[in-house]
Amino acid sequence: MNVTENMLNNISHIILEGRFDSDTSAIVEKIIREKIEKGVYRFILDMEKVLFVASAGLRVILVIAKDLRQHHGDLYIASLQTNVRRVFEISGLDNALHIFEDAEAAARNFDE
Amino acid sequence: MTDDWKSVFFSIINPHQSVNLQFQFQFQRGGTMQQLLFEFPGNTAILEKVGNLAADAGRNAGFDDMEIGDIELAVDEICSNTIIHGLKRDPTRMFQLVIQWEKGFIEILVHEDGEPFNPAAVQPPDLTASVEERTIGGLGIFFVHKVMDKVEYHTNKDGMKTFRMSKRAKSNS
Repeated sequence: MNVTENMLNNISHIILEGRFDSDTSAIVEKIIREKIEKGVYRFILDMEKVLFVASAGLRVILVIAKDLRQHHGDLYIASLQTNVRRVFEISGLDNALHIFEDAEAAARNFDE
Repeated sequence: MTDDWKSVFFSIINPHQSVNLQFQFQFQRGGTMQQLLFEFPGNTAILEKVGNLAADAGRNAGFDDMEIGDIELAVDEICSNTIIHGLKRDPTRMFQLVIQWEKGFIEILVHEDGEPFNPAAVQPPDLTASVEERTIGGLGIFFVHKVMDKVEYHTNKDGMKTFRMSKRAKSNS
């Protein structure tokens, strides 16, 4: 799993590349938590280059989104591949989370 | 045809970890059924390898892309549970994985004699709850039941746990 991060207009863009499973979910959680501790509460998780997500990945997304919403922030999900979107749909989290076609659409929604 | 056990050594090197791993495998063919047996260590770094092996077997059996994704998800969830809950992430402890398939059918078994764990006791998630109300956990086992046709679990008197799951391709049913 490669994780890159860009800050734009006080929104943290986290770009994931690789598998988001129980081997890599802790890395993603740590990187986002470090940003939250610095007072960042708006995140876009770009998953275009994630070809596999397991429940461990969804668990991290859920706990982070819970925390951020308590701070009036959120974690927006962008660019899901077909198989990955299916896992979100089976979990029902596609209805509970904000999911966007791409990172630009997610950023626009934060601005509104 | 039965081959002897073969050992595979491989390394995972990325910015977050560098780990050398070893697993063993054996290939058998009986009638139309092909079978791969593996011994894997209790390390989540092997999950990618396990997922790829199950996906390859699914492809060989003629499953479509969505079904292959389902098989990869199910094997990841079961092996992840085994490594984390059963083997407590101890890389010196091993579990056995069996992948067997024929045209339009795949069956996956995981054997492990680690800590007691009963997937039937896991509460199913509330799929309609909001982010704020949603409880964490229970999703992995739920996924397995959702994407596989048949899921069984038992512990024998020696404490060996076996998880068995199977799936039939839609196009062959």
